[in-house]
Amino acid sequence: MGNFFIPSLISFFLLLSKAESESESELIADLFALQSESKSGVIHLDDRAVARFLTSPKTPRPYSLLIFFDAVQLRNKPDLRLRQLSQEFALVASSFIANHNSTNPKLFFCDIEFRESQSSFSLFGVVSLPSIYLVGRTTKSLKDDSERMVQGDFTRFTDSLVDFIESRTKLTVGPIHHPPIISRAQTGIILGFLLIWSPFAAKKMLSGETMLHNPRIWLSGAIFIYFFSVSGTMHTVIRKMPMFLMDREDPERLIFFYRGTGMQLGLEGFAAGFLYTIVGLLLAFVTHLLVYVKDPKAQRVAMLFSIFVSFWAVRQVIFLDNWKTGYAIHGFWPSSWN
Amino acid sequence: MAAVANMPVSDLLKSFKLKTKQQELLIRVSILCLVYILAFITRLFSVLRYESMIHEFDPYFNYRTTLYLTQNGFYDFWNWFDYESWYPLGRIVGGTLYPGLMVTAALIYRILHFLRFAVHIREVCVLTAPFFASNTTLVAYFFGKEIWDTGAGLVAAILIAVCPGYISRSVAGSYDNEGVAIFALLFTFYLFVKAVNTGSLAWSLASAFGYFYMVSAWGGYVFIINLIPLYVLVLLITGRYSMRLYVAYNCMYVLGMLLAMQIRFVGFQHVQSGEHMAAMGVFFLMQVFYFLDWVKHMLSDTKLFQAFLRITVTCAVTVGTIALGLGMLSGYISPWTGRFYSLLDPTYAKDHIPIIASVSEHQPTAWSSFMFDFHILLFLFPAGLYFCFKRLSDATIFIVMYGLTSMYFAGVMVRLILVATPAVCLISAIAVSATVKNLTVLLRSKNKGVQTGSTKGSGSSKASSKALLDQSQPFQKNGAIALLFGAFYLLSKYATHCTWVTSEAYSSPSIVLAARGAHGSRVIFDDYREAYFWLRQNTPPDAKVMSWWDYGYQITAMGNRTVIVDNNTWNNTHIATVGRAMSSYEDEAIEIMRSLDVDYVLVVFGGVTGYSSDDINKFLWMVRIGGGVFPVIKEPDYLVNGEYRVDKGAAPKMLNCLMYKLCYYRFGEMLTEYGKPPGYDRARGVEIGNKDIKLEHLEEAFTTSNWIVRIYKVKPPNNRW
Repeated sequence: MGNFFIPSLISFFLLLSKAESESESELIADLFALQSESKSGVIHLDDRAVARFLTSPKTPRPYSLLIFFDAVQLRNKPDLRLRQLSQEFALVASSFIANHNSTNPKLFFCDIEFRESQSSFSLFGVVSLPSIYLVGRTTKSLKDDSERMVQGDFTRFTDSLVDFIESRTKLTVGPIHHPPIISRAQTGIILGFLLIWSPFAAKKMLSGETMLHNPRIWLSGAIFIYFFSVSGTMHTVIRKMPMFLMDREDPERLIFFYRGTGMQLGLEGFAAGFLYTIVGLLLAFVTHLLVYVKDPKAQRVAMLFSIFVSFWAVRQVIFLDNWKTGYAIHGFWPSSWN
Repeated sequence: MAAVANMPVSDLLKSFKLKTKQQELLIRVSILCLVYILAFITRLFSVLRYESMIHEFDPYFNYRTTLYLTQNGFYDFWNWFDYESWYPLGRIVGGTLYPGLMVTAALIYRILHFLRFAVHIREVCVLTAPFFASNTTLVAYFFGKEIWDTGAGLVAAILIAVCPGYISRSVAGSYDNEGVAIFALLFTFYLFVKAVNTGSLAWSLASAFGYFYMVSAWGGYVFIINLIPLYVLVLLITGRYSMRLYVAYNCMYVLGMLLAMQIRFVGFQHVQSGEHMAAMGVFFLMQVFYFLDWVKHMLSDTKLFQAFLRITVTCAVTVGTIALGLGMLSGYISPWTGRFYSLLDPTYAKDHIPIIASVSEHQPTAWSSFMFDFHILLFLFPAGLYFCFKRLSDATIFIVMYGLTSMYFAGVMVRLILVATPAVCLISAIAVSATVKNLTVLLRSKNKGVQTGSTKGSGSSKASSKALLDQSQPFQKNGAIALLFGAFYLLSKYATHCTWVTSEAYSSPSIVLAARGAHGSRVIFDDYREAYFWLRQNTPPDAKVMSWWDYGYQITAMGNRTVIVDNNTWNNTHIATVGRAMSSYEDEAIEIMRSLDVDYVLVVFGGVTGYSSDDINKFLWMVRIGGGVFPVIKEPDYLVNGEYRVDKGAAPKMLNCLMYKLCYYRFGEMLTEYGKPPGYDRARGVEIGNKDIKLEHLEEAFTTSNWIVRIYKVKPPNNRW
C-alpha cells in the first residue's frame, strides 16, 4: 500500500507543478497529438491525464471533453452492451473529427477504463455503467457541473449521442460515416470475379448442368422458406426477440413460450413452425415415398406412426394457440368436450 | 326389377338423359354457384349485426371520393383538388390515389341504375368487396384447373371462399383497395400462367389488361411486377426457356407498362423507380436469350458459338451494370421507397420510418397469426409444395414461387397475409385434391383387381395403390373410407373455424364499437358517429379540426370539416407538427395551433369504456413521429425509467402535455368503476396522476356519451384592452 502510495503522490506533485507551467496551447496541442495517435480518434485517459487536462487547468478551459466510462471486466455482460456502445462512440468520434477537419471546434472524445483509473471514476461520482459525461469549458466540479447523458438515451445510441452533443455544445456533428460492410477493394474484386465467372455460369446454365436444375434442392429451399416464414423468424429478427427468457422469480427456469398475441419468443416460433411443417411433410411422405416400401407390415407401422404424429402435432398447435392467444380455435372435437 | 331396386343417383341423372360428362359439368357448375353465393354471404355478418355502413378509416376516404365521382363525373374526379384535407396544403386527389376501386364501384352503380335498381351508392360500396370475393373464387377455380386439374380448382374455390386471411380484408363494409385488388392480382396471375402455358398473344394481352386493372386498384401491384420477372428468371436459370414464355412475358411487360403509365399516381415509375427495374432487366435478358438462340441457330459450329456466347454475356452484364449504376447516380432511377425497402431489409422501417412502424398492420407476424388465418391450410401447404415438385411444370413452378415469396412477405408484415392467402389456398387445394383423388380411386376400383390408370395424379401413388390392392384388399378399402371421412371431417372443421373467425374477429366495423355488458348482453358504443355528426351540425362549415391522423378521413367524410392531417400520410412534417402540438405544453401548443388556424381539437379517449386503441395508447407514436422532425420533443421526457405511465408516477412532462390534458380533462371527478377511486382509467387500469386539469386556451366543446370522443374549441385570443 505504502509502496504504491508514495510514487503516485510524487508523480501527482510532479504533475501539479508541471501543469501550472503548461500553457493552454500546449495542452491543446497534446490533445490533438493524442487524438491523432489513436485509431478512432478517441483519447484514452488515465488518472494522470484527467489531472492534467481536467483538474489542474483553470476554468474556462479552452476545450471540452466528452468522456465514455468503460470497464473491461464488465464487457462480457450482455445487458450493459459496453462493447457495442464503445464501438458506436468511436464511430461518432471519428465522424466528428472527419467532419470538422479544418475548423477543429476543440471537443475531444475520450474514454476511461475503470480498473486503471478508479480515482477518476470517484472524481466524477460514476457508480453505474454505461455512463457518458460532457465536461464543458466552464465546468468546475467534475462531479456536480459536468453533464451526464440520460440513461434512457442508450437505446438508439448513435442518434441520441449526436443529439446530446448537439444540444449541449451547440456544435453540429454532421453525417455519421458508417464503415461500409465491404470495402471498395473487395467490391472491385467481387465485381471482377462476377464478370469473369458469368460467361462460364451462362454456359453451364444453357447446357443444364448446375445444381439449380436439381428439383430436390429447390424443394428443400422451398420447405425452408415455408418453415422460416411460419415460425415467425422475421418477427424475431425485426423485434430482436431473444430465443427464450429467464424467469424473474426463479432464474433456473427458462421461459420458452410467451403468453399474449402479437409477441413471440424465438424458440417458441421454431417449435410451432416445426409442428406446422411436420404434418405436411408426413402426408407427402406417406403418399409418395412410403408406397415404394415392399413390406406391407412396415408400411402399416409407418402409416400408423405418421397418423399418430400428425394427430399429436395438430393437437399441440391448437392447444398452444389457444393458450397463447386466448381465442378458442377449433380442434378435432367440439370445444365442450375438453 | 333388379335394375329398379338398385337404381343409384347416377341412373336418376341418366333419366334426364345426361351423359357422364354432362353430369360432371352439372355438378361442377352447381358447386361453383354454391361457392359463389357462400363467398358472398359469409361476408355479411357485419351488415346483419350492425347495419350497412362503411368500416374502419381508409374506406371512408374511398367512399367520399366515390360519392364525388358519381356526383361530378369522371373528369372532375380526376382533376379534383381537395381543400378539406391537409389544411393549409390541400391534396391533389386525382393524382394521389389508385382510382380502380372508385371507378369500379361507380360503374356497378351506373349499371344498377341503368337496370332500374335505385340503390344508394353506399350500399354499392358496402357490398363491393364481397362481390369481388365471389369473383375471386371463380378465378381460383380456373387457376387451380390450369395448374393441376378441375378437382384442385374446385377445392381451391371452396377454400378461398371462406379463408379468414382473405375475409379479414373483404367483409361487407370494408370498402378498401384490397377488396378488388386481390381479385385483380389473382386474375392477372391466372391470365399470365395461361399465356405461358399456351404461348398465345391473346392471353398475354389479357394479362396485360389484368395488370392494368391491378395497377389502377392497389399499390401492391409492385408485387406482380417483381414476382413475374423473378419467375421468368427462375425458368431461364433452370433451362425452361421457351418461345411461349418469350411471347407471354414480352407482351405482358411492354403493354402492361404502357397501360400502367396511364394511371397518374404511378406515372413514369415503371421506367424510373428502382422497384421496377427488375422487370426491365429481365425484359432485356429475354431479348439476349432470344438473340443467342437465333445466333446458335445460324452458327453451325459449336466452338464458335461458345466464344460468341462468352463475349456477349460479358458485354451484356457489364453494360447493364453500368447503365443501372449511372441511372442511380444521376438520380434518374430513384432508389427504393421505404415501404418496399422495409420488405427486403425488415429492420429498416423500425429504425428509420416511425410512420410505417407505427401502423399495427405493418407489424411482423407471430406464428399464432398464421394459425388464426390459415388453420389447416398451414399443415397442408408443405404437402402441396411436395406434390407440385413431384409434377413440375411451368404452371406449378409459378404457384410455388408465388406461394413462397408471399409467405415470406406475410412473415414480415401482418397485412401481407392477405396476398399470401390465394397461393396458400391453391397449393393446399392441390394437396387435398390429390389425396382425396387417390383415395377415391382406391374405393372405386372395386373388384377390378388390377386398376387401370385413369387419373392424371401422381404416377407413383397410382402404382402403389395398385401394388397395395394386390396385397391387402379388405383393409385397403376400409382404410381409404376412414381416411376420406377424416379428410372431410378436417375440412368441415376448417369451415367451422373460418365462420367463427369471421363472426368473432373480422366483422366489427371499428367505427361502432361493441362490448359485452355485465350480463352478457351486447352493448353498442356509437360515439364516433355521434361526434362526427355533432361536428357537422354545430361547427361553422369552414372550421378546421386537428386530430391525430387516424381520424382524418372519417372527420372529412362524416363530419364534412377540414382536417389538418389524415390517413394519407404523405407529408411527414405536417404530421410531426400535429404530434408536436399534442406533446407540448398548452401554451406552446396554442402557438402551433394558431399557426395552423385550428378551430377544434378532437381526441379519442378510452378511459371510461376501457377502449384500448385510444390516443393515450397511441401517444408515444405521436411523440416519436414529432421528435423525428422536431428534436425538442424527446421520447425519454415522457417515460419513467423507460416505462410509459399515466398515473402518479408518470413523467411531469407527460402529466402536463396537451394530449394528457385534453383526454383527462374533468376525468378526475368521474367515478368509472365501483370500488375504485374517482379518475380511474379503465383502459390502462390505473388511477390518473393529474386530476386537477385547468385549460387556458381551449375549452371543452363536446364530449360523447361514453367519452370516447372529446372535442375542444380553441378560444380566440384575449381582448387586449
